[in-house]
Amino acid sequence: MSDYLVSEKTLAGFFTALATGRRLLAPQGQGDDCRLAETTGPVSLDYANTHLSPKGVFFPQTEKILAFHKLADKPKANQYQDLGDQAQPTVIFGLRPCDARGLTVSNRVFQNDRFTDPYWKGKYESAIKIGLACLNPSPQCFCAAMGGSPFGEMGLDVLAYPKDQGLGLKALTPAGEEILKKAQAEPADLAADMAALEKKAIQSQGSLDDYATINERKIMELYKADHWAKTAEPCLGCGVCTFFCPTCHCFDIQDEQNEVGGVRMRNWDTCMSPLFTLHGSGHNPRPSKVERVRQRFMHKLKYIPLKQDGVRGCTGCGRCVVMCPANIDIRSVAAVMAQASA
Amino acid sequence: MISVNNPYLPYPVRIADIVVDSPDKSLRTFKFEFLDPEDETRFEYLPGQFAELSVPGQGEIPIGIASSPTEKGYVLFTVNRVGQVSSYLHNMRVGDVMGVRGPLGHPYPVRDLKGRNIVVIASGFAVTTLRATVAWLLHPDNRPNYGRITFVYGARSPGHLLFREDWEAWQKRDDIDVYVAIYKMVPGWTGKVGFVPAVLQEICPPAENTAAIICGPPIAIKTTQPVLFEAGYKPDNIIMSLENRMKCGLGICGRCNVGPEYVCKDGPVFTLAQLNELPPEY
Amino acid sequence: MGNLDDLTQKIREKAKSLLKSGQVEVVIGYRAGTVPLVAAPFFARSPEDCDNLIWSSFARLNLANYLPNRAGKVALVAKGCDARSAVGQVTENQFPRENLYLLGVPCAGLIDPARVAAKEPRPIQSATESDEAITITGAGFSQEIKKAEVLRRNCQTCAHRTPTVSNELTGPETPNAPPDDFSDLKDLLAKTPAERLAYFKDLIKDCLRCYACRNACPLCYCPICFVDETRPQWLGKSTDPMDTMTFHLLRGLHCAGRCTACGTCETACPVNIKVREFNRVLDKSVQENWAYEPGLTWDQKPPLTIYQPNDPADFIK
Repeated sequence: MSDYLVSEKTLAGFFTALATGRRLLAPQGQGDDCRLAETTGPVSLDYANTHLSPKGVFFPQTEKILAFHKLADKPKANQYQDLGDQAQPTVIFGLRPCDARGLTVSNRVFQNDRFTDPYWKGKYESAIKIGLACLNPSPQCFCAAMGGSPFGEMGLDVLAYPKDQGLGLKALTPAGEEILKKAQAEPADLAADMAALEKKAIQSQGSLDDYATINERKIMELYKADHWAKTAEPCLGCGVCTFFCPTCHCFDIQDEQNEVGGVRMRNWDTCMSPLFTLHGSGHNPRPSKVERVRQRFMHKLKYIPLKQDGVRGCTGCGRCVVMCPANIDIRSVAAVMAQASA
Repeated sequence: MISVNNPYLPYPVRIADIVVDSPDKSLRTFKFEFLDPEDETRFEYLPGQFAELSVPGQGEIPIGIASSPTEKGYVLFTVNRVGQVSSYLHNMRVGDVMGVRGPLGHPYPVRDLKGRNIVVIASGFAVTTLRATVAWLLHPDNRPNYGRITFVYGARSPGHLLFREDWEAWQKRDDIDVYVAIYKMVPGWTGKVGFVPAVLQEICPPAENTAAIICGPPIAIKTTQPVLFEAGYKPDNIIMSLENRMKCGLGICGRCNVGPEYVCKDGPVFTLAQLNELPPEY
Repeated sequence: MGNLDDLTQKIREKAKSLLKSGQVEVVIGYRAGTVPLVAAPFFARSPEDCDNLIWSSFARLNLANYLPNRAGKVALVAKGCDARSAVGQVTENQFPRENLYLLGVPCAGLIDPARVAAKEPRPIQSATESDEAITITGAGFSQEIKKAEVLRRNCQTCAHRTPTVSNELTGPETPNAPPDDFSDLKDLLAKTPAERLAYFKDLIKDCLRCYACRNACPLCYCPICFVDETRPQWLGKSTDPMDTMTFHLLRGLHCAGRCTACGTCETACPVNIKVREFNRVLDKSVQENWAYEPGLTWDQKPPLTIYQPNDPADFIK
């Protein structure tokens, strides 16, 4: 793998080349309006991050997966048929490293040790992912505390960063190398430049806790700690944290039908809702917000690392920190979990 | 196994028979035949696994498989009428087409228990996968591989006891000890009376080289454990099946977790030793 | 020392004495947020806890939301609209009046972060405030903005900034906004029904169906919301525009004559939908039809929740 440069002059052509033969998705708009959208360039490099995480590209909030018809005189009545993964050739430019890392967490759930989700797989694996490193992380960012970096490479085919009004690019996979060559990026050696910028960007996040003791503690020690009622008390149960989290992947499956047929779809769901775990009998294993809030933080900071070789389910993107109407801050909760005794 | 290309896609089945199991009609056992006979081969399972019953336009419900793979040509599921899908299913008719998606989850570890004694403890309609287990163990191919087999089963009333033909036949055999109980005496009943833990206490086989498989509502599982401890059973040898609300059955949609384990993908079968290390969220 | 500091001091003193005397078990108020422009809900249970309590023009979440289903005696730090919500909950039998101590805060209007962002789009690292202005600081900039320029829309028309009902006020009454003439609705109400529908469709186009507006709302205390009912299921769970619109229309109508314009729904909305637009149209209608404003006294009932045999409308007979 090698490094490449795209100069200010060739930048527009570079994006045109990316968008040739496939759709190019890149962040557009500012602040709360910043979202991944289709473009042929030019692409603004001046954004903090997309308001919603990019998970919706691979895991739409509503996705129809199966369909059936009820016409008894036609073949296969009441038999579900696959609607396919709806994947199309895609390159995403401008994923932040926190989000790319978050997508790898979901990827290991959607493609787990026993089953493969074809709808996720088709879209995730066919997309070329070009990250944009963060030279100036936002005030709410804490990727380094969660084991990532503003120049993190996990889950990316290419890592780019703004350089001299153009781009510096590091190919990370053969697919990434190929697309850069095709787009006629010039070979370069950027290792020293990137290392220096990464160090500066990490330092800008301040002195960060590493929450390492959470990894050492047993599940039940963290679970039984006495802070959870207090931690959960302000929670409104709205689930905004889960909708915005790049690693939250939970969904509900629903059928909708009319007189002649119907579809099976999946919709984003949230563990903050009491319905999420409610048994048909009325029994609920997580009956109050205390159990639900505990579940969310245990999932992000203990369960996922246990199952994914230490990679946390929180990537420090900061969305939930900013979005939670009750200001339940995962950094504070992680700090309490790292300290709390049972 | 489940469809490799798409584990969300149910196998189409026809309802071949429906048996009303309880006096209040809240339980019905459905016998399904696969529309494509090759799907039956693909649907290779072991006792303790479950499947999603897929009712077009209504949704899916996870139900334990009540038949044993030693019984060919059909699969059985006993469904309690509690929610939207199960209520609709209860009103469907023989001949209707729907879907079965599975098998899902891990079976009871019957293959790992070769050479050992097994006590099977069932409460209420959770007997289904245990009925499958006993049927499997008693099959001539399997029976020689196990020691003493004991089956304890209790329900509210004689009318609530499922699979009567099966356990009455087992009672006549000499290679299994069968204890069937109702919780409260009614005229004409000649079997045991009492809750399952009390019956178990009376007849509990020695713990040595024995594994216990329990399935039932949470309260029955909870009250059965002390009896087994007292008899010397270790948490490693107490095997249980959990239920939680499920959707995908594949360890993806996220709701059935008990700590880091998904009941659907990593369970539903766990040993008590495993559960002792996990949050009691089931 | 400004008025804000006085209010903070008074809240802390009073909270301490209420807890020390055992008059209440918990004081629900605000602490400083961990992110700029936010004051967060805080539950003080000991006199030491009380030193975290603050008053701030960032205190947007309506704390009355924490009252329903809560056991024990509670003191609620409440600005005008929140106090009215709490009174509404008492009149709707969601919280016993004898368990409620309203620590009323005369409010001067709260800050709308969206209006701040419109003035300064760069990321804000910290924000401080004086009585008249806020100062926001980010990488390489610091800017003072007059509060009057960035008040929330509902605060600009608030006729009850100082709680009308409370056990105690923490400071002198604040001047209300000029009388609300609903002039901001003029264009909307002049539209044809089709145009109005198009307007509301556009308003909610980004809705995620997360229901944060509902969960943050002190009026939304139903044990099971109609959107969550499964037997029968009234509403699809997808992002289908018709289902989304149905949710917003029903939510709005369910709050008619009960909404105190606290704006907590818009505070909670993560995609900046002006959720209150639905309520505002209904507020106007309720005021015109029944000359009614909710939560001003302990004995009034929302007009749409009562029936009288001499009701002039004949559809109901």
